[in-house]
Amino acid sequence: MTQVILALVLGLLFALGTYLVLREDVVRVVWGVTIISQSANVYLVTMGGLRGRAPILGHGSEHPVACSVPNAGANCVTDPLVQALVLTAIVIGFGTTAFALVLTYRVYEEHGTIDLGEVRAE
Amino acid sequence: MSATLAPTGPHLVIAPMLVALVTAIATLATRGYPRLNRGLSVLGNLVYVGAVALLAAAVLPNDVVTYQLSAWLAPFGISLVADALAVFMLALAALVSLAVVVFSVAYVDDQGQNVSYHPLYHFMLTGVSGAFLTGDIFNLFVWFEVMLMPSYVFVVFYSGPRHTAAALQYTVLNLVGSALMLVAIGGLYATTGTLNMADMARRLAAPAEFGIAPAPVLGLAAILLVVFALKAGIVPFQFWVPPAYRAAPAPISAFLAGVTKKVGIYAIIRLYFTVFSAGTLDSALGLPGFAGRSFLDFFGPVLFVMALASIFVGGIGAASRGNLDDVFAYSSIGQVGFIVLPLAVVATVTDPALQVLGIVAALVYSLNHAVAKSLLFLVSGTVYESVGTIQLSELGGITTRQPVIAGSFFLGMLGLVGIPPLSGFFGKLLVFDTAGRALAAGAPGTGLALAGALGGAILTIAYLSRAWSRGFWGEVSPAVEESTRPVVLVGVIAVLALVVVAIGVGFDPVYATAEAAAEAALDRQGYVDAVGPEVVSDA
Repeated sequence: MTQVILALVLGLLFALGTYLVLREDVVRVVWGVTIISQSANVYLVTMGGLRGRAPILGHGSEHPVACSVPNAGANCVTDPLVQALVLTAIVIGFGTTAFALVLTYRVYEEHGTIDLGEVRAE
Repeated sequence: MSATLAPTGPHLVIAPMLVALVTAIATLATRGYPRLNRGLSVLGNLVYVGAVALLAAAVLPNDVVTYQLSAWLAPFGISLVADALAVFMLALAALVSLAVVVFSVAYVDDQGQNVSYHPLYHFMLTGVSGAFLTGDIFNLFVWFEVMLMPSYVFVVFYSGPRHTAAALQYTVLNLVGSALMLVAIGGLYATTGTLNMADMARRLAAPAEFGIAPAPVLGLAAILLVVFALKAGIVPFQFWVPPAYRAAPAPISAFLAGVTKKVGIYAIIRLYFTVFSAGTLDSALGLPGFAGRSFLDFFGPVLFVMALASIFVGGIGAASRGNLDDVFAYSSIGQVGFIVLPLAVVATVTDPALQVLGIVAALVYSLNHAVAKSLLFLVSGTVYESVGTIQLSELGGITTRQPVIAGSFFLGMLGLVGIPPLSGFFGKLLVFDTAGRALAAGAPGTGLALAGALGGAILTIAYLSRAWSRGFWGEVSPAVEESTRPVVLVGVIAVLALVVVAIGVGFDPVYATAEAAAEAALDRQGYVDAVGPEVVSDA
């Protein structure tokens, strides 16, 4: 059930992001790009599978097996790798969003508008 | 080598990245001292060239040196792999970057250089080097971002209306591309269970053993191809190229066209010919034009159409532009088509010798394009500095007033057109040779490839001779009459023009290196063995 809901939500988020990217307003475009990259992050988390316990290794306990490994058994943990990947992607996304917003402001300063119909290269 | 200070063995692999990163930080810290700052920037680039040369000496002709980050074994840690292919691309980057950095010091105005030009430039070089060296697909994403972030800033560097508009388009497009790349990488991890390229190749070769369904992997690899095509500026993902190259400072356009584009080409060769070529579909695709079950049988025709479209969109676009930068930008779309064409032709053939030849053609053409196109963009910058405009309508008679500038343009132009003995001749020859041999071997569609390459070659001659006769020959225009002679800039382009000649005259070692690189790209087993991903038991 969780999988179906998540898949639907992800689809909606990607669609919303695409819709915003196609708007004429630069701020909405930046919002759209941000939503698309955040949806990609959520999607990335789901790629590790949604089953299993928290991947914490206790002292002297057995090596946990990630649920994404075939035949992992019932006592498996969620795949921690995708979460590490998402952390990296979030940091990169933070930097690029900040840059895109500053760029939006510069576009406004140079062109006096944020309507893409009027922002012309020449 | 044992008694020298130079790093040896695995540590050598990270030397180019480390040098570029340290230079970036050093130039960031010394922004208050302009002369020191610029000195460090050039010095850092010289050391970078040295590091690449040391790495090349260790790797060539056919060694593979791997560096496992923090000694975590593959596939759990991040592997960095230097083989002949990576070294070939690094050498190309080193060559162009040195010319670009010296040119920048003399070309970019003081304020621009004092802000953050040099640190950004070296961060970009770090990203490029990392992308060439990494053996981990998510790490490739990270290096792409490291490379892109400074390039956004460079496109908006002059901050005028034109530059902000171009940068907005460039940034939004690449951010969407990055999100797509994440989606593809996440999917590949979920389907193959690994991010390590060598491990992925190993698993794709035995899909049943690792429980991999090949069809989704093919789809995800196709999404990834979109991202690489966007980076390389291949049709239909080329439209950002002309505004971005026009907006960026001339030396940066030279770097973007010469080196950054080749990262996309490198990624296509490395991932599709080394890694994804291991995959086979359960049954042939039921689509017209696609035969066979290998993944490359799918990507071959796709790349073929993209390459031919690039050659013509770029060639025809370049033939009608009014200023030098636009001509060169459209020309670089067409030239990338020439690089991809032999790859597309050999993707569907089974003869290993022909496959090697096709990749050699792509690599030699990449090198030629990197040097000649960087030279032309630097010539454009020199003309701008000297004459004050690069509009073809306001130029004319540069040959009489500025013979060295005109001569450098002429050599770069002949290099692109492919006149013997310049480097471009061998690039073109190998492309035609690949298509001709594939035709003789009976590969479908290669007649079209030959015809397309011939048409593209004629277009190249047409648009470059148009730029030559309008801008450099003829009556001396008023603007050219008052032109100055920027000595350092002219010196850099003259030296680079001589490099174009030198690569052509001393072609044997270049060919040997490219051949070693192509063999490394196709030697999947050698790549897997060098990285040595541990066999994870499924039990």
